[in-house]
This record gives sequence, C-alpha cells and structure tokens, in this order.
Amino acid sequence: MLLRPNRAGRHLLNPVSAASFQIEVPDLVLARARRGDARALETIYRAFERPAYTLALRIVGDVESAREVTHDAMLRLIERIGQFRGDSPFWGWLRQIVVNEALMRLRRERGAVFEDIDDGDEPPGDGPPPWMLADAARLERALNDLPPLTRSVLWLYHVEEYTHQEIAEMTGKSVSFSKSQVARGSSRLRRLLDRQEKEAAPWLAATI
Amino acid sequence: MAGRNHLDIHPSEAALAEALRALPQSAPQPDLWPALARTLEQRRRPRAWRYAIPFAAAAAIALAVLLPKMTTQDRATPQSTPVASSAAPDTSASTSDAPNTGELDALHARSRTLERWIAAVAARAPQDGQDLMAAVEVEDLIGLVDVQLGGARGDADALPLWRQRVALLEDLAAIRGNGLALAENGGREYGVPVSLNQLN
Repeated sequence: MLLRPNRAGRHLLNPVSAASFQIEVPDLVLARARRGDARALETIYRAFERPAYTLALRIVGDVESAREVTHDAMLRLIERIGQFRGDSPFWGWLRQIVVNEALMRLRRERGAVFEDIDDGDEPPGDGPPPWMLADAARLERALNDLPPLTRSVLWLYHVEEYTHQEIAEMTGKSVSFSKSQVARGSSRLRRLLDRQEKEAAPWLAATI
Repeated sequence: MAGRNHLDIHPSEAALAEALRALPQSAPQPDLWPALARTLEQRRRPRAWRYAIPFAAAAAIALAVLLPKMTTQDRATPQSTPVASSAAPDTSASTSDAPNTGELDALHARSRTLERWIAAVAARAPQDGQDLMAAVEVEDLIGLVDVQLGGARGDADALPLWRQRVALLEDLAAIRGNGLALAENGGREYGVPVSLNQLN
C-alpha cells in the first residue's frame, strides 16, 4: 500500500515518523473491517503493529508482555470495531485500547506499580542534556531502567502527547502525580545517562 | 492531547521528547497476525454454523415454492443480470459438447434466476450486521468458485463447480430473503420473500 501523507501531514496506512500512531485509515478499509473482512483487518493490523507494539513495550518494559498486550489489544479492536462511531480519529481510538491493555497488565502483574523515585540532589549541569548526546541504544537502556509507571508516564506525556489530566485519569492518580513523574523521570533519566557515560569512558570522568 | 501547550515545556524537556520520539520502532516477533487470524476464524465458525442451518431451511422452503415459477419465466427472458459476483462466469462457452449439457443448462438458468432475485432483494431489504457478515462470507465463496470456473477445462470440470455455485447462491438468496421477509413482515411467512412477484 502506498505511503501518502494527507494535508494534515498524517499518513494513510503506512507511517513514516517513529512512534507515530497518527495514521489515517481509508473509510473503505474501515467499512470492510467492520463487516469482518479478514483482509481489511489485516491491513489495519499491519499499519498499526509497529506503533502499537512500541507503545506497549515502552509501558510494560519487556518484549513478551508487549507482544501479549499487542495481541490482546488487536483482538479487542477486532471485537469492537463495529462499535467505532467515527466521531474521533480511528488511530486515537486504537491507541487508547493499547494504553488501557498495557496499563491493566502493569497493574495485574506488578500490583502497585508506582514506585516513588527521588529527585536526586545533583542539579542539572550547564551542558546540553545527556539525551541530546546519547545514541538510541543508550537512551533505550536508560529508559528501561526507569520504574515501569514512571517510564509510562514519561512516554505518554512526551511521545504520545497526552495531557497530565488525561494521564491522571488513565492511571487513577492525580494531575500533580503525573507532573511529578515527568519531572522526576526526566531527572532520573539524566542521571542514568550520565552514569552510563562515566562507565563507558572513565578516563573522561577522571578529567572533569 | 488537547490542551497541551508546547510553550510551557522547557527546552531540555522538548529535547527529551524529540530524542524519545526518534527511538526506532519495533515490531512483534514472531508475527502476531497468524494467531489473530486463527482466533478470528475460530470465533467466526460457530456463528456461521448457527446461521447457516436456519438459512438453509429458509432457502429450501423459499426455493421449493418459488423457483419453478421463476425458472419458467426465466426461459422467456434468458439474459443474465449478475449481482452476487461482479465476475459471474460465462454461461455460454461450455455447454455444447458434454454429456451433461442438460444439467449444465439447468444450472446456468437457475444461477441467472437466483442472481436476478438476489439483486432485486438486496436493493430493497435492509440487512442487519450478522446477516451482512454471513452474506459477505457466501459472496466470497462464490467469487472463489468463479475463479475456479474461469480455469475449468471442460464441462466435466465445470459441472461440480456450477452445482456448488448454485448451492451457494441458494444460501445467499436465503440470507437476503431473510432480510426482506423481516423488513416487509406484515403477517406473512418468515423466510419467504413476499415481493417476489414484483421482480418479474
């Protein structure tokens, strides 16, 4: 299927930008999917499998759970697609299903998933923040070292662009909790990346 | 998402958002679709059976009552109006040199009659979601038979396929007729397409 950005800069079926759920599904495909057409359902699945799995992975943190979340979310999509009314973007509806499935799994598997993390006492330095210098592998490693729900809130806020209010509703916590998780998560991420850098180049740390 | 004010975000936070968005996406390994498709198929199968039996019964009743009359009328007006499949097979090409020409002719005629009937009913009867899904499944099967008919080498190959096609059309007629009967049910019999006379 062709990649074709629409006027809003979003994409029809095939996404280009990383972590982008903002894919518009043609009405014809949606209509066929609503009738249970397996080919249309597979087209939708193929369009969203990467953003859905990536989002699930960022929330639950391990590949096997992310796979199960993606499977369950897609199954739920197939079961409920007839209920999709079309008054909001399809991708937003599907993304919400994935987020709900992933958060439910976190709660089920890990109980109280909110680990309080301290702010740290080191103020940020004057240089560029470490995530501007870190490569993808290091950033991903540091992200995985965050407590699950801190990582989830950080991802939902920064990448998926949910508001603190929306995150508070989804997690059953307060707006201020969401704000503090974003701030503390950023701070922890900074320290993790700094530590990684020192471990990778101890001679550099010794000269500072 | 609504209400996000990007001006409120500190530059280093904006840089973090950008760095996170730039992380590569992953795909589930191994592929999840085969498992999803299997689940979909398993869920669909019992439903198809649940509807197939009443549909078949309704078809038998409707066809026993109405087809003799329609077939007689069809002989007078032999042109076909295919509706169940946009690529209905050519009924004129393979009828001349086989021992079963008589049966094939009858199957062609019945196929045309059913297609005309289905086309007329489909235009007038609303379908509920379950009927629609069942109808789409049968239409897909008819399309599959048509593809096979396109590759049939002679009447001997074509005959069982035509039998299958007519059987599927009868199923489809029952499904469509069910919608029409429900739509126009004014004390008339369930499953019998009450407005059939208006089709000719």
